[in-house]
Amino acid sequence: MKLASNEFLQASSAALLEEDKAQRRSLIGQFLPLARDAAASAYGDFDALRAHMKRVRRHTMTHLSHYLEQFEEAAVQHGNQVHFVANAEQLNSKVLSICQAHNARRVAKGKSMVTEETGLNELLLKAGLDVLETDLGEYIIQQAGETPSHIVGPALHKSLAEIRQLFLDKHKLGDRELETVSEVVEEARGVLREQFLAADVGIIGANALIAEHGTSMLVTNEGNGDLCANLPPVLIVCTTFERVLPRAEDAMALQRLLVRSATGQPQTCYTSFYTGPRREDDVDGPLETHIILLDNRRSDILASDYSEMLDCIRCGACLNHCPIYIGVGGHAYGWVYPGPMGSVLTPLLTSLEQAHHLPNACTSCGRCAEVCPANIPLPDLLRDLRQDESVQQLKPARWRNGLRLHAWLLRHPGLYRSLTGWTISVLGLLGKRRGAFRRLPFAGGWTGQRDVPAPEGGGTFMRQYAARRRRGGKRG
Amino acid sequence: MAESVRAELFARLREQETAVEPEQIALALAALGHAEPARTPHADVHTAFLANVLANKGTVELARDRGAAVQAIGRYLYQRFRTHKLVAGNDPRLAAMPWRDGGVLPRFGAAENGDSAALSYARLGVAETGAIVTYTGRANPGRNNLLPEDHLVLINREDVVATLEDAWARIRHDTAASGWPRGIQFIAGPSSTADVEAQLVMGAHGPRRWHVILVGDTPAEVLAQASEGVRAPS
Ligand code: SF4
Repeated sequence: MKLASNEFLQASSAALLEEDKAQRRSLIGQFLPLARDAAASAYGDFDALRAHMKRVRRHTMTHLSHYLEQFEEAAVQHGNQVHFVANAEQLNSKVLSICQAHNARRVAKGKSMVTEETGLNELLLKAGLDVLETDLGEYIIQQAGETPSHIVGPALHKSLAEIRQLFLDKHKLGDRELETVSEVVEEARGVLREQFLAADVGIIGANALIAEHGTSMLVTNEGNGDLCANLPPVLIVCTTFERVLPRAEDAMALQRLLVRSATGQPQTCYTSFYTGPRREDDVDGPLETHIILLDNRRSDILASDYSEMLDCIRCGACLNHCPIYIGVGGHAYGWVYPGPMGSVLTPLLTSLEQAHHLPNACTSCGRCAEVCPANIPLPDLLRDLRQDESVQQLKPARWRNGLRLHAWLLRHPGLYRSLTGWTISVLGLLGKRRGAFRRLPFAGGWTGQRDVPAPEGGGTFMRQYAARRRRGGKRG
Repeated sequence: MAESVRAELFARLREQETAVEPEQIALALAALGHAEPARTPHADVHTAFLANVLANKGTVELARDRGAAVQAIGRYLYQRFRTHKLVAGNDPRLAAMPWRDGGVLPRFGAAENGDSAALSYARLGVAETGAIVTYTGRANPGRNNLLPEDHLVLINREDVVATLEDAWARIRHDTAASGWPRGIQFIAGPSSTADVEAQLVMGAHGPRRWHVILVGDTPAEVLAQASEGVRAPS
């Protein structure tokens, strides 16, 4: 997928002005966190589950070569062909060559963020293949020529009216009402059922790979991934090598975390484990199965201080809880992965130079880390990326000088205090009448959307604090 | 290409790892133990299982024995489709059922597009999640769970386990004898989507309805208790 993260500032300003979409996002920001909280507390000790998963992941990552080899061996034994690919280009051409080897014309695809990352569809379409996304959200945005705005609900930014018009334009099915959500779903069911039945190749992702059995776990509600895995004669699983977990029970722990964090469900409709081609006396299933394991800089991340980011299970909870994501939406981030997880991953998987705005969008509110089922310290990683940014001098000189000045001031507490004291008194006097400022010099970006309250009497926090201590340390 | 990519990746990984004997790794893994299962709404596994099936937007029924199960299936098919047709896998347990008594006409084999109802005999039920588990194969082709409008499932009382970990213990036990199947499917509800306006709709791609029949001697109160507090599916 094309990277447009360097346009984050312009794109988010534009997004803030789209009222209808902004309202839709704020609903996501209200509803999904509530659902997640309810599901987490109904589970029992959710934090203990998170801690358990973290220990399993640390163990797995410490012995990753062992588990990866075990997975590969078992998968091959079950009749899979396992391919390691280094980058997006290699993944795409591998998939294409498998399709061509079978003279495939139609491809049915389940949801896979990895193939969004590599831009697989574009290549397959260019090669003349008829590729359809079958996850309803993915299908909608594919038809609209858009990219996902959310890693779990890719089309949540679209209204029913928009989807209705899209279907009326794209599906030549004559006069029809198509006014309810059910009717829209029903129509997509009909169109996609044909693709499932006619597809020569099915492509799916994996939520986890289980080393012990050489099997991959697929978690969905729609069952579209399962149809991709069961009907076409060839199945290709596209995923990344670090998805591996030692045991089936570990995948179950991950699944418990994933469903509750993603949608607030206690359980998804389909949790399936696919382990190769049709067995001797099977009457259905693919005749040939491939598992493609992509690296795409993940082995670099593993060796870096950002390795914990690889624990991400793509639940989307950090998006739903992020005030910036809810404010500006997924498209502003300019790539596949938005929100807090995307602000860490995009610079790491592409380049900090092109994506350096993303870590800076974080307000360090900490909600993402509070809910991340993988216990990834997202705000810390974002802070470290900002540090890298400053080392690499990627910020404009005006910013860097400002920060340097601030750092120097902080090292001179006396001067800092008198300067802030002075500023506070001046602002207090100037803003006395209205009690707030509509605009402040050097802070136009900030005050463009909001007022800044004018300081009330009493001086700076430090001064009030010192005074209180002198009065005898009474707590108020 | 793939060979050198693989070799390079493993070399990089090994470079960062300290070499440890596989036995040591296995010991460290065992020491991590397993996660806790989710709390269930009822202490009794069968009540909890049924309550969770209902919560997953399934419908449930009790059948004392296979004869009663056939009757129940016949009634269901007639009410839903005004038909007695049904597709079912080549499961010896299904072949041995008294179909004629219930007026049901099963076709044994793989489901096709357009089949209204398919029946599976589940290997397992999981109380923790309200899921049933099937293995792909002649006894239950994978597509039978996915293509029909309605998916009917029989599950024996003794095959309902408490947790997901218990389920895997059983799966390991079963497959030790018969080999690892191509697919293991945990199914917990009709196919659904919330991709349009975040509104939940059943029958996204797979079955629109999911009907679970618990076979065995289950007191009727169990079903009554399981239904308490669970909203009936619309
Ligand atoms: S970073 Fe954490 S919260 Fe965000 S998608 Fe990944 S696992 Fe979920």
